[in-house]
Amino acid sequence: MNILFAIERRVDAGSIQALAHYARIGRQFGHTFAIYGRHDPRLPEMVFSTDVAAFDYVVFIFESKLDWISGLDLVRLLTLVPKSRRVVLDADGMYNPVLVFDGYDRNHASERERTRWAASYEMLADRVLQPTFSPRQPAVWPLLFYGYDPHSALRSVDAKRVDVMHLGHNWWRWREVSERLLPAVRRVRHELGDICFVGLWWDAPPPWAAAVGQEAAFRVEPGRLEELSIYTFPAVPYRDVIATMSTAHINIMTQRPLFHELGLVTSKYFEIFAADTIPLVMLEPRHAEQIYGPAVRDLVLDGDIGGKLVDVLRNPDKYRARVHAVRAHLAAHHSYEQRLDELLATLAGQWTESTRERSCA
Amino acid sequence: MNLLIVSKLARSARAINTIAHYCRVAPQLGHQIAVFGEQQLDFPDIRFSMDVAAFDVAVFVVYMPSDFPDLPYLANLLDGVPKSRRVIIDCSGRYNDTIRIEHDFNHLEKMDGHQGWEWIEAFQAVADRILQPTLTPRRDDVQPFLFHGFDPNGCVRSEAAAAEAAQRWSREERRYGIAYVGHNWQRWSQMRRFLEAVAPIRDELGQLALVGWDWRCRPDWAVQLGINGANVDPDLIERLDVEVRDPIPSTEVPQFLSAARFSPIFQRPLFNELGLVTNRTFETFLANTVPLVMLPEGLAEAIYGPEVHPLVPDEDVAGWLRKVLDNPTPHWDAIGRVRQHLAAHHSYTQRVSELVALLGQ
Repeated sequence: MNILFAIERRVDAGSIQALAHYARIGRQFGHTFAIYGRHDPRLPEMVFSTDVAAFDYVVFIFESKLDWISGLDLVRLLTLVPKSRRVVLDADGMYNPVLVFDGYDRNHASERERTRWAASYEMLADRVLQPTFSPRQPAVWPLLFYGYDPHSALRSVDAKRVDVMHLGHNWWRWREVSERLLPAVRRVRHELGDICFVGLWWDAPPPWAAAVGQEAAFRVEPGRLEELSIYTFPAVPYRDVIATMSTAHINIMTQRPLFHELGLVTSKYFEIFAADTIPLVMLEPRHAEQIYGPAVRDLVLDGDIGGKLVDVLRNPDKYRARVHAVRAHLAAHHSYEQRLDELLATLAGQWTESTRERSCA
Repeated sequence: MNLLIVSKLARSARAINTIAHYCRVAPQLGHQIAVFGEQQLDFPDIRFSMDVAAFDVAVFVVYMPSDFPDLPYLANLLDGVPKSRRVIIDCSGRYNDTIRIEHDFNHLEKMDGHQGWEWIEAFQAVADRILQPTLTPRRDDVQPFLFHGFDPNGCVRSEAAAAEAAQRWSREERRYGIAYVGHNWQRWSQMRRFLEAVAPIRDELGQLALVGWDWRCRPDWAVQLGINGANVDPDLIERLDVEVRDPIPSTEVPQFLSAARFSPIFQRPLFNELGLVTNRTFETFLANTVPLVMLPEGLAEAIYGPEVHPLVPDEDVAGWLRKVLDNPTPHWDAIGRVRQHLAAHHSYTQRVSELVALLGQ
């Protein structure tokens, strides 16, 4: 099957890494995956095409922005590809009612905005997929989409530069970081070495945040990071994520509240276990176990976060064993080979409860 | 006939004035015209509509990719109006092979990411008929339609006789000797020649003014993209003490130009080459100013009629300006005759009738 992804190209965020994996795995099994558009030197391993007629399906990948497709591209995609061969992957859960969590994180600023997103998806495609086990909308098809690549796992990076790293952008994360993580770190700070946050907007919100009504999403108090001697570093391109994570003894994964609530998974879920590090995930324990298997219990940051950080640094071997077990689970249940099968089955309309169960097993 | 115009409106650019005139004139001729979209407060005189089924034809007025609506509206249009009832007015010659004149191109891949074939394929996908505002389209499958027009009732001051107009023009104090309203996009090489030509009589003329984007300096984006279409020489601007002002709304252009003794009419080199006209081609003649018609002579005569010649400067621009200052009557006589020609051949009433006739064919 030939599948064309239409996506906003962001080299340091989003779903690009997954597309690179689909392209690689697809080649092994005789499928062609490409990104719509012309060659982009920032994405050397990707195949690009504008020949829409050569593809069986176009998968539109939407994250937090709706208006990234040029009008000219949209004209071609809408007129040259029948709707039945167009599919939307709703990565950020926008195809839902307006959801607000704790008066903080939200998928839409207003009902009017939600209506526009929903109408856009419904005009674009017959099918909407979400990377969650349990979509809230009956019409949405579950498809985790992102996966684990055992081959990209780094096993032995000796040169650890920091004790604790958090790699990800400050996008609806400040509340969890400031209310749970930083107080815990403060209590044990003297027992930890260097700590760093890698990603956008940890040093300051973007200058345009207020203009787009998104101050809350980018809220940050750099002074609180400085107080704890936490360094911030710029975002890294997708192909450097795993190597960068591997320079830390511990990597912490946080997720925006909306994603917690909707059970949405991202590339980061799997990349962090491909890195040579001990991942600690700030996820709801049941959800973490659903993805990572039972071995993840000791790697979930819940309860005494500070104590856990110290314990991991003191007893790394104990936690490495857990990491290995999780990796085995991911390789068995969330490989890109499996994701590819699921995607093809979904596109062919064969996604069934049994497929879901297999994925959840 | 009910026409739905599809275009991105801006207060100081592209076709806003022309579209506003269409909306005004159409009901007088028994037609209805609205712009696709929700009512915009910036344009209180324009009727907007989203009810695509209520219109006979959708007229896409296209300068750039963003003239195609965003999601879901483009999909609504394409679904709701059959291709046979869609037409494109290609205002900047996109629907041609790639043409380069000096720094000017009809396909600006560096800026919008689209190659020539994409424009052609997209236009063909959207509409069965493509119109261009030129008397001489290059492609056989394009119909000529000037689109822009002249509002005979819009003259800032209608003089009964040339002598009277000339006398008043000579006597009146004017804030500017020469004023030009238009953005610095692909106009600098002409403007440089013009400014250098008038430099020797700068003090006799009075204040010079340039109104529009990017006359102060070459914008950063042009530097970053290596685009020469917005070149400018700030030293020359400073040396001649040219007053540079931000853009003004299209509706204010005739009044503003009436504060100047002279107003040149420039077009992009590409437009001169393709014989494309713009609203500025017509509206400078509404102002109480002496237009300097800087268009190719053949194009000038084709649009303005044979009486335009006294308003077309020869090589010695400064000498020509002095001649007008010394004896303005023949030039005001020409202005009157050109206005009559424009009223007879290029009124908006005529333009709307032509469009309806074309669409009815």
